[in-house]
Amino acid sequence: MTQAITRRAAASVLASGLASGRFPLNRPARAAEPPKDPPVFRIGALLGLGDKANWNATVMQRGILMAVDEINAAGGIDGIKVEAAIEDHQGVPRVGVDALQRLRARYDIQAVLLSYSVVALATAPICEEQKIFMLDGGSVTDGLVGKFSYLYHNRSVASVLARAALTIAKEKGFKKMAVMCASTDDGQSLLRVSQADWKAHGGEIVAVEQALATASNVDTQIAKLRTSDADFLAIWEFSPGPGLVLKRAREFGMKQPIIGVEFTAEIAKVAGQNADGFQYASDYFNPNAGDPWPKRFADAYQKKYGDPPEVYAANYYEGIYVIAELIRRAREAGGDYFKGERLLEAVRAKPRVPSVYGGDMVFQPDGTCLKRVGIFSVKEAKGSFEHFAELAK
Amino acid sequence: MDLFAQLLANGLGNGAHYALLGLGFGLIFTTTRIVHFAYGPVFAVSAFAVWLAVAVGGLPLAAGVVLAPLTAAAAGALVYWLAYRPFERRGMSSHSVLILSLGLSIVLESLLTLIFGPNIHTVPGFAPPIFILGPVFLTGLQIGEVIAVLGVAGALLLFLRQTRYGHAILALSDDRDMARIVGIDTDRISLIVFALGSAIAAVAAVFTLLNEGATPSMGFNPVFVAFVVAVVGGLGSIPGSILGGFLVGLVESLGLWKIPTEWQNSIAFVLLFVVLLARPQGLFAGARR
Amino acid sequence: MELVLHIGVMICIYAILATSFNLLIGFSGLFAFGHAVFYALGAYITALTALRLHLPFPLPLILSVIGTGLLGLAVALPALRISGIYLVIITLALQVIAIDVIINWTSLTGGPTGISGIPALSLLGKPLTGPAVFLPAAVIAAAACFLIARHIGDSPFGRSLRAMRENESAAASVGKNIFYMKVSIFGVSAALASVAGSLFAYYLSYVGADSFQVSETVLILSMVVVGGTGNLVGSVLGAALLVILPEALAFVDLPEGIAAQLRLLIYGCVLILFLVFRPEGLLREPRRGGRHAVAVSGNAAAELTTAAPAGGVVLEGTGLRKRFGGITAIDALDIQLTRGRVTGLVGPNGAGKTTAFNLLTGFLPADQGDIRFRGQLLRRLRPHELVRAGIARSFQDLRLFAGMSVLENVLVALPRQRGDGLLTLFLRPLLVRRQDAANTSRAMAILDFIGLADRAFDLAEDLSYAEEKLLVVARLIATEAEVLLFDEPLSGLDAGAMRKIIDLLRRLAAGGKAICIIEHNLEAIRSACDQLIYLDEGRALAQGNPETLMADADLVRRYFR
Repeated sequence: MTQAITRRAAASVLASGLASGRFPLNRPARAAEPPKDPPVFRIGALLGLGDKANWNATVMQRGILMAVDEINAAGGIDGIKVEAAIEDHQGVPRVGVDALQRLRARYDIQAVLLSYSVVALATAPICEEQKIFMLDGGSVTDGLVGKFSYLYHNRSVASVLARAALTIAKEKGFKKMAVMCASTDDGQSLLRVSQADWKAHGGEIVAVEQALATASNVDTQIAKLRTSDADFLAIWEFSPGPGLVLKRAREFGMKQPIIGVEFTAEIAKVAGQNADGFQYASDYFNPNAGDPWPKRFADAYQKKYGDPPEVYAANYYEGIYVIAELIRRAREAGGDYFKGERLLEAVRAKPRVPSVYGGDMVFQPDGTCLKRVGIFSVKEAKGSFEHFAELAK
Repeated sequence: MDLFAQLLANGLGNGAHYALLGLGFGLIFTTTRIVHFAYGPVFAVSAFAVWLAVAVGGLPLAAGVVLAPLTAAAAGALVYWLAYRPFERRGMSSHSVLILSLGLSIVLESLLTLIFGPNIHTVPGFAPPIFILGPVFLTGLQIGEVIAVLGVAGALLLFLRQTRYGHAILALSDDRDMARIVGIDTDRISLIVFALGSAIAAVAAVFTLLNEGATPSMGFNPVFVAFVVAVVGGLGSIPGSILGGFLVGLVESLGLWKIPTEWQNSIAFVLLFVVLLARPQGLFAGARR
Repeated sequence: MELVLHIGVMICIYAILATSFNLLIGFSGLFAFGHAVFYALGAYITALTALRLHLPFPLPLILSVIGTGLLGLAVALPALRISGIYLVIITLALQVIAIDVIINWTSLTGGPTGISGIPALSLLGKPLTGPAVFLPAAVIAAAACFLIARHIGDSPFGRSLRAMRENESAAASVGKNIFYMKVSIFGVSAALASVAGSLFAYYLSYVGADSFQVSETVLILSMVVVGGTGNLVGSVLGAALLVILPEALAFVDLPEGIAAQLRLLIYGCVLILFLVFRPEGLLREPRRGGRHAVAVSGNAAAELTTAAPAGGVVLEGTGLRKRFGGITAIDALDIQLTRGRVTGLVGPNGAGKTTAFNLLTGFLPADQGDIRFRGQLLRRLRPHELVRAGIARSFQDLRLFAGMSVLENVLVALPRQRGDGLLTLFLRPLLVRRQDAANTSRAMAILDFIGLADRAFDLAEDLSYAEEKLLVVARLIATEAEVLLFDEPLSGLDAGAMRKIIDLLRRLAAGGKAICIIEHNLEAIRSACDQLIYLDEGRALAQGNPETLMADADLVRRYFR
C-alpha cells in the first residue's frame, strides 16, 4: 500500500513536471535572472482557533509567531521581512476553505501551514490546483499522504507513530493488545496501522473501544477494556483525550502498561499522578542535544509563554523555518521565485532541511518526513526520553 | 457479570450527573418556556469560579464548592434579566429566543476563552478516593454525585412545596397566563427559577471540574444531555428528571455492553426517539413533582 | 476577485438551505432542528455516485434530490405525532444519530476521513473547477430552488401551510389534509436542501461529517431568523448577511493571538444586537392574497339564501357514547340535524355539548353508536374528510388564522382547491392560477355577504371580537359544507352583533343548510333555534321546540333560570 502510494506520487511528480515544462533542464536559464523580491514574505496558516478543543491551535499559533519574530529580528530572509497570516478554520472544512480563499485574495498566498486533517482534506485540493505549497505539522492521518504533490508533513504520520509505539510492547513480549481510540481521522489511521502491524507481529487484538475526541465520559469503554484481560492498553488519541483515559483506566483498577503517541501539558493536567508509567512514541524533541537550536528554542519558548514547548509548538515553529529555508533557496535561483511551485521545486531538489528537533530532517517522495521517533516514559507528570524507536523499514 | 456490575455502577454515577443537568434545565424550561442554550456557558462559568477560588485563590476545596452554585445563580439570573426578559416583554417568537440563547452561548464562551485561555483547568493535587466493592470500582466522585442529586432533589421538592415562592413557581409552570392573572410577579419568579436552575447545574459542574477539568466549551455537550433528560423524563416533573437522568445514564452504559462503543453518542438520542414516539409527553410526566 | 466569487458560491448554497428551511419553520410552523442532515445526505449521495459510480452530471444531483426527498418524507412521520419543543428535540436527535452513522459507516462514507477527490461538476465536457466557473452554476441552482420555494409559498398550498402553522386543528376543520401537507413539505424542503449539498460536494470536491454538525443547522436557522421567518427573500438576505459578516470580521485587524476569539465574540454580539433591534428579522412576512380590491363574483347572498326545500334529516347520531377514563362524557345520545333548521344544543357547563360536537365532526371517535350522513354510515373519517363530505364545525375559542388576512382566512377554507396538490401546482400552474383567481372573488363575495368586505386585507388578529365571530361564520360558509356546527357563535357579543349573526344563521338555514349551535343565552336561543336538545351529564334530557322546552318547569329550574 505504502509502496503503491509512493509510486503514484512519484509518477505525478514526473507528470506535473513534464506538463509544465519546468524540470531541472531549464533551471540554469533562470539563474541568470535577478530575483524578483516581494515587499514581504507572507506565510499563511490555517488553525482551529475557534474550535471546541482549541488548545493545540493556540500552541501552534505561539510557535508560528515566535519563529516569525526570530527571523525578523535576525533581519528577515535576505533582508526581507516575514509575516504570518493566521486564519481560523474552527475545525470545520467549509470555514477552512473560506479562510484559504481569503488568504489567497488578500495576500496571494504561496505557502500555507495546515492543521486538522479534515480541514486539510478540504483545503488541499484548492492549494494543489493553485500551486500553493503546503506544510502540515499537526495531522498524522494516512488519508492525506501521497495524495497531493504540494503537501508536505513535518510531523511523523500514523504509519510511523503507531509502529514506533508498538515497539514498546514488542520489546516486552506482550501478546494481547487492547485499544482505546478516538473516532477521528487521526485515531482511525493509528488504529488501522496498529492492527496490521500487531497482527503481522503475531499478536492478538482483544478489544477495540472508541469515543469521540471530545467525549467527557469514557467509563463504559474503560470498563470493557478492563475485562478484556489484555497485556497492555494502547491509546490512539491526541491531546487532551489520553488524559481522561489514563485517569479513568487507573481509577478503574487497570494495572496493565499503557502506551500512546502523545503526552502534553493538557494530558498531564487531567491525568495527574495516573500518568505515571505511561510510555509513548513521539517526534523526539530534545533540548539537551548537541545541536544548540533545540535548546535555544525551548528556552526562548519557556521564557515567553511560561510552558515548555510541545510537539505542536515545535512543529509549527519549525514549519515557518522550513518555508523560510525554501524561500531562501528559491531566491538563489532568481526570477519570480516566491511562488508555490518554486518552493516545491526547491524541496524536491534538496529534500533535506534543518530541524528544530536537532540535525536535519529529510522529506520523502510521498511528502512525509523522516524524523527520529523517540520512546518516552512519564514520571511525575513529565515525559523523559528513553531511546529512539527502531523501525524496520 | 463483573462487567455488567461495573457498567451498572457507572450508569448510576453518570445518571446522577445527567439528572442534575436535566433537573436545572427542566425547571427553567417548564417555568419560563425558554430553551436556555446559554445554560452551557453558565455551567462553565461556575466551574471556573471554583477553579479560581481553589487553584488561584488558595481557598480550601470545600469553600470553593460552595461558591459554584452562588456564582451560577448570579450568572443565570443576570442572563435572564439582561437578555431574555426584555425579549419576553416584547412577545418574541420562540425561534428568536432560541437564536438569542445561541448568540449568548457564543458570547459567553468566547469571553471565557479570552479570560482564561482555551486550555484545560484542573484542581491540582485533587484525586478522588477509590472504593472497591468486589469487582466494582467506584470513585468518591461517582458516589458523591448520587448523594448530591438526591439531596438537591429533596431540597428542591421541599422548597417548591413548602414556600410561597415554590408555590408560585408551580403555578407558573402549570399555566403562565393564569399565574399572571392571579397576581404572581412572573418576572421575579422567572428570575428565581433561572438562579435556582443554574445553581443546580453548578453542582454538576463542580463534579466535571474535579473529574476531567474545566474548559470554556465544557458546557456544550451538557446542554444537549440536559435537554434530552428533561424531555425523556417528562418536562415539568422533578421525579421525572431524576429518573430520566438515571435512565439515560443506565441505558447509555448498559447499552454499550453489547453495542460497539463508537455508537456512544447516539444511544441517548435513540432512547429519546423511542420514548417520544411512544409517549410524546415523556416517560414520567404523569408523576408531577 | 476570486474571494468575492467564492463568497458568492457560499451565499448561493446557504440561500438554498435557508429558503428550504424557511418553508418548514416559517411557512409550516414545523420547528425541525435537523436541516443539516438533508444537506449532508445530498452531499454524500452526490459524492458517492459521482466518485464511485462515475455517474455524469446531472445524475448525482437527481439521485441526491430523490434520496433526500424520501428521507424528508420519513422524517415527517414523527412530526405527525408531536410538535413544538418535542419536535425540536426529536429532530435534534435525528441530527446527532445521522452524524454518528456517517462517522461509523466507514466503508460507505469514509468515516471521519470523509470522501475526497470528488470529480468536478462537468457541463458539456467542461469541468467547473474554481469559483469563477462554478458561480454561474450555483446561481442558476439557487435561483431555481428559490423560484420553486416561492411558487410553493405563494400558492394555495403555501396558504394552507400557513393556516396549518397558525392553527393545525382549524386547518383540518376547514378541510386541509394535515398528513399530506406535513409529509410533502418535509419532502420538498429536504429535496431542496439536498441541491445545496450536491453543489457543496461538487464545489469542494470533499465531504466530511464535520461540515454537517448541529452547529451547521444552527447557522442555517440563524439565517432564517435574521432574514425573517415566512419571508423567502429575507432568507436569501439572511444567508448573504451571515456569510459576509464573518468574512468582513476577518478583515478587521485585531490583536494577534486573540483575534479568532474576539471575532467570535463580535459575531455573537452582532447576532444578539440584531435580534434586540430587529426581532422580526430583516424582512417581515409579506401580506399575501392581494392588497387591492378584488372583484366580487356572483351574488353570494342570493346564492346562499335562495329558499331551498326544508326538511330531511342530513346528519343523525344514534346511541352515541364516549368515555374519558372513568367519566362518561356522552351517553346514549341521539341527535338529528335537519336541512333548513337551526338546532340548539343547550345544557350546563360540562354537560358534554362540545364533546358531542367533537364526535359529530370526527375530532373524537365515539365508543359506541352510529353517525349517519345523508343516510350513509360514517366510519372513522378524519376531520378534513368530514368537511369535504359536508360537515363543518367552528370552535369555541375561534381558532382563526391570526397571522393571515381576513380574505385569506376565507379563501383557504374554500373546497376542492387544485392548488393544494403539489403535483398540480407544478404541472398545471395556469389552471391553479385561474381557479385561485375565481376562488378569491368567491371569498370576497362571502365576505361581502357577511359584511366584512371592507376588512378583507387586514390581518385576522387586528379584528374586533365581533368581527372575529363574523369571520368564523364566513370561514365555515366557505367550506360549502351542508351541515354547519357552531360552538358558541354568540357568546360575548353585544345585542347588535348578536342580532347580526342570528340573522345570518337564519338566512343560511333558509338557504338549505342544516345548522347546529351550542349556546347559553336564552334570548338568543329563542330567536335563533327551531329545535333544542337539552343535554345534561352526557344525556339528552329533552328535545323539542324552544317555546315548549322553556316552558318545562323542571328544565327551567335546572338550567333556564
